Amino acid sequence: MRIKFLLRVVLGAIFIYAGILKIVSPLRFVTDISNYHLLPWFATVALAFYLPWLEVIAGLALLWTRVSRGALLLLSFLTCVFIVASAGAKARGLDVTCGCFGHASKDWSFGRHLLLDFAMLGALIFCALPAKEIHPARI
Amino acid sequence: MGSFFRQAVCLAALALLPAAGEAIYFRERVSWRQPAPSDEVNLAQADGFAAQVMWIDARPREQFEAKHVPGAFLLNAGEWDELLPAMLNAWTPDRKLVVYCSAQSCDASKEVARRLKEEAGLKNVYVLTGGWEAWQSGHYAH
Repeated sequence: MRIKFLLRVVLGAIFIYAGILKIVSPLRFVTDISNYHLLPWFATVALAFYLPWLEVIAGLALLWTRVSRGALLLLSFLTCVFIVASAGAKARGLDVTCGCFGHASKDWSFGRHLLLDFAMLGALIFCALPAKEIHPARI
Repeated sequence: MGSFFRQAVCLAALALLPAAGEAIYFRERVSWRQPAPSDEVNLAQADGFAAQVMWIDARPREQFEAKHVPGAFLLNAGEWDELLPAMLNAWTPDRKLVVYCSAQSCDASKEVARRLKEEAGLKNVYVLTGGWEAWQSGHYAH
């Protein structure tokens, strides 16, 4: 239980950090999303404003046990979407910056991005698993 | 599961509020309409600029240091603040800036070209179609 809480704190901090980096420079994030060539411009701009706040709010919600399951569900979904989008971009031969940690992650390789994403997805799923009930030992 | 889903929807809805506020705050700086495509030039056109051309390498530093267009200035988004002053010192209003990144599929050159126009206020900024690959195939790389 304590491990899961600590993991949620770490994950929450990562998503809050990632979100804030993008909130302070939305113009760069617009460029990062548009580089995927997946969405019309209007949706690209809307997502560039929306996704960072979603990360921050879901990251904060991870710290609040009452709503943490909802946050885990949301962040797992976001991470899956990002993995699919990244793999799709790679398959189409696009040389994109993921924008996940603003431009701090600009020079990360595709493999490094994917490794981090799968690690985070695994941690999110682990935190979402129901806790095992501990039965008192029979005497 | 239903309650988790409801929680997720509530959180997603909650994020709309600050996002809308930020969108309003940045309304003058972000266009919601598709911007015009950046001015692109092919290698022949760039060579046609002759002595007026000023090459800008938008790739990461290690790629620039391995090989680059002779006389090119390194200016990538990751080191923007550090590299821009040196480039601006060498710039004169008659120069035509041609920005390139690694290949046709990269977007770093477009981003650097956009920032040179919007943030640095420069004109005559072009993107080299095909990037470094196109230049290499047309010239001997130094």
